[in-house]
Amino acid sequence: MGAWGFVGLAYGIVWGIILLYLISLKRRYNSAQAELDVLSSVEATDRDVKK
Amino acid sequence: MKKGAQPIKKRRGILGALALIAIAVGLYRGLAIAPPDAYQGQVQRIMYLHLPSILTAYLSYFLVFIGSGMYLWKREKRDDILAHSAAELGVLFTALTIIEGSIWGRPTWGVWWTWDARLTLTAILLLIYIGYLMLRSLIEDENRAASAAAVLGIIGFLDIPLIHMSVYWWRTLHQPPSILQPNKAPWENVHPSMLIALTISFVGFLLLYFYLLSLRYRFGEMRCEIKARRLARGG
Repeated sequence: MGAWGFVGLAYGIVWGIILLYLISLKRRYNSAQAELDVLSSVEATDRDVKK
Repeated sequence: MKKGAQPIKKRRGILGALALIAIAVGLYRGLAIAPPDAYQGQVQRIMYLHLPSILTAYLSYFLVFIGSGMYLWKREKRDDILAHSAAELGVLFTALTIIEGSIWGRPTWGVWWTWDARLTLTAILLLIYIGYLMLRSLIEDENRAASAAAVLGIIGFLDIPLIHMSVYWWRTLHQPPSILQPNKAPWENVHPSMLIALTISFVGFLLLYFYLLSLRYRFGEMRCEIKARRLARGG
């Protein structure tokens, strides 16, 4: 492999891993957000029932 | 949605956009404008990733150290969330540093890996914080897990001065600092164009880091909120 091959490999792997981490973090974030929204709506229903 | 969440989301978006711009400019300067190294040639361009990655990892472990210390002192959940978030990102950036170093080492040293003092201590740093993350998932009691992890987070940070000094204390294959030398200004050691590329790349990494940290921290907050609200509902 030539010098540019090593440079390309390093840049490709690094930005690839960062992108994968970002995607996984966004997924976890969105699923937590969705869970909070569900909890909020359930709590609101409970409050309405109590009234 | 939490009060004040929208402005924070907007600020996070701006931070992400700025990170993207700085990274793009850093890539352009590092790959197209900066000259190749006189001895190593084109392969030295890995430096524009390698140095910002490890400095970002050090910053992250410093935040773990601060967050852990504050948690042990004040027992506030937000400090623990900060330490946990920073540890996860520290592991990411340390792993990246080791991968980049390995790819850089192959054409310059002739090996992908060697048990050099700096490399070994960096691998130990990575293992300590992987242990930190595992510890958190292994102990069921959340407060106990946070306390044990905080102690490990503080102890693990002590490895960083060792990593920094390793190139002075032991005969290592890894070079000593070539930019930040005690008796010379950085611009006296490297070509100004290289220094500009490195600085922009580092700024890009920092902005990206704070963007990821903000996202990871909010995720940690939401998880705590979910647990607390479930508990309040009796589930």
